Amino acid sequence: MANKIIAWIDHRFPLTSFIKHELTGYPTPRNLSYWWNFGFLAGIVLMLQVLTGLFLAMHYKPDAAMAFDSIQHIMRDVNYGWLLRFMHSTGASAFFLVIYIHMARTLYYGSYRAPRELMWWTGQGLLLLLMATAFMGYLLPWGQMSFWGATVITNLFRATPFIGDQVVVWLRGDYAVGDDTLTRFFALHYLFPFLIIGAVVIHLVALHSVRSSNPSGIDLADKDNIPFHPYYTIKDFYGLGVFLMAYFLVVFFFPHSVLEPANNIPANPLITPDHIVPEWYFLPFYAILRAVPNMVGGVVAMGLSVIVFAFMPFLDRSRIPGGGRYRPVYRIMFYLFILDILVLGYVGYVPPTSKTIIIGQVATFIYFGSFILLPFISKAEDKWLFKRGLPPKILALIASEEQEIAKRGKR
Amino acid sequence: MSPTFAAENKLEKFQTDTSVIAVERGVDTFMNACHGCHSLKYVHYRDLARFGIDKERIATWRGDSTLDSAMTSLLSDEAALQSFGKVPPDLSMIVMAREGGASYVFAYLTGYYLTPEGMTSNHLFPLTKMPDALEISTATDSVKRSEIMEQAHDIVSFLSWAADPQKAERESLGYYVIGYLIILTVLLYNVKLQVWSKLKT
Repeated sequence: MANKIIAWIDHRFPLTSFIKHELTGYPTPRNLSYWWNFGFLAGIVLMLQVLTGLFLAMHYKPDAAMAFDSIQHIMRDVNYGWLLRFMHSTGASAFFLVIYIHMARTLYYGSYRAPRELMWWTGQGLLLLLMATAFMGYLLPWGQMSFWGATVITNLFRATPFIGDQVVVWLRGDYAVGDDTLTRFFALHYLFPFLIIGAVVIHLVALHSVRSSNPSGIDLADKDNIPFHPYYTIKDFYGLGVFLMAYFLVVFFFPHSVLEPANNIPANPLITPDHIVPEWYFLPFYAILRAVPNMVGGVVAMGLSVIVFAFMPFLDRSRIPGGGRYRPVYRIMFYLFILDILVLGYVGYVPPTSKTIIIGQVATFIYFGSFILLPFISKAEDKWLFKRGLPPKILALIASEEQEIAKRGKR
Repeated sequence: MSPTFAAENKLEKFQTDTSVIAVERGVDTFMNACHGCHSLKYVHYRDLARFGIDKERIATWRGDSTLDSAMTSLLSDEAALQSFGKVPPDLSMIVMAREGGASYVFAYLTGYYLTPEGMTSNHLFPLTKMPDALEISTATDSVKRSEIMEQAHDIVSFLSWAADPQKAERESLGYYVIGYLIILTVLLYNVKLQVWSKLKT
């Protein structure tokens, strides 16, 4: 009976071949480490956010006079409303953590290299969408930090040439952040996840065309690939179990650690909080914004600091696969860059003093300097490593990659 | 998540006692010392009953208000503005709304002192408009002072509960969820080992 139904469907829709092509027969490198779990985790967090957000939207009121109260209504009166809300607020942080690890893995192993540039760029688009969604979602509780965070960030659009002031009014729907801003941010916060889902589909279609990268940095021969299902489905689900433990530990025991105390005070346009701090996942970019004394310059620097990752496929001139794994200089650069981001995060977190401003400016120089110097450093490193003589393992990898490319050319 | 409040380093760690008895004492002191001016608009009298406080006891606090009404103060905003120049903040979320949380609120309540000029001031918040409701600044003998400290402790315990009333339920559910996930993850790990063992090396 079941076979008959499947046959009936297959006659009209490529069900069996789809499952075979994308799951049971989808070849995946067998040497993937647990760092390759985070794309799957990001997908799960996206679904968690969409689902909890759907139910929160059923009880939330996007109205300046009612928003704050409606959050407390969710927290206190709605059955398990506190669980929905804490899952959603913790989920936002979890989403960024997972995405940042996913990006760090790509950078470390050089997974952005040909032929995966489009994966990297669709991922970059996803990051921008995620940032926009998180930013708009943060206004919705209508607390002090919601209000002032949105005020500061929308105000940055004044840097737009010629029409800056109009752009700000257009974004806010008013001359200041207010009821109109809240309502439109709610509408957009509901819309953007669907754009994200669309972009994820493109990301996955590209993935299934170029297939997963792997720690060796080259496309492995067929014998070193295994079907995604069951090997990676079970590995991903085991990783999911570990992730959910950490996630629910925060949700049930430390949910307030991701919430700002000042955001438990209702928005008040007349009182500015002492320190306006963005959420942790924006801190490094915020530090770069503040490091440039001029506002327009700061906005440009902040925008560039996010976009600049897109240039990685062009900036990395090395011919050696495997990224940081086989390239000592690149590896050191990677760790310094991560350290630099942590320093920037700290600088973005503390109230500015003359000392932290200097530290922030130095860290900003190192941030952009890493990208600007990368073409030269990677080229020089490549030359140095080839001159010194590569270990046979890497030579074999490079040879095997050339073979693969040649084979592909023939096809 | 925001930068450390300068005074936070000096705050003594506050041990919240959210037992029914402590919270009940806290409500009682709160109704006498704070509720004249401060509202708790997100807390209803029925929430106290649900928490386990005796309904007859609640009846002595709520007066003519129904069990379903919010614990709002009778002081109007206009009257408050006239007397204090400021509307006293609603205290439902106050413990969650300050860096340092309960420790801050406790240190604030007990931080009143008399200046050499005979004025009342507060160590934590010198510009505060709130009078020394617990009268700790004028209490000199140690018995009286420790009594006031006890009262402040009960008030803050009650306010901690009011800001996060599902904490107990949340944490007890949390143990089950984490326990379930540990078992599930161990099982998944074993299935993973089993599935991968079929792979020829």
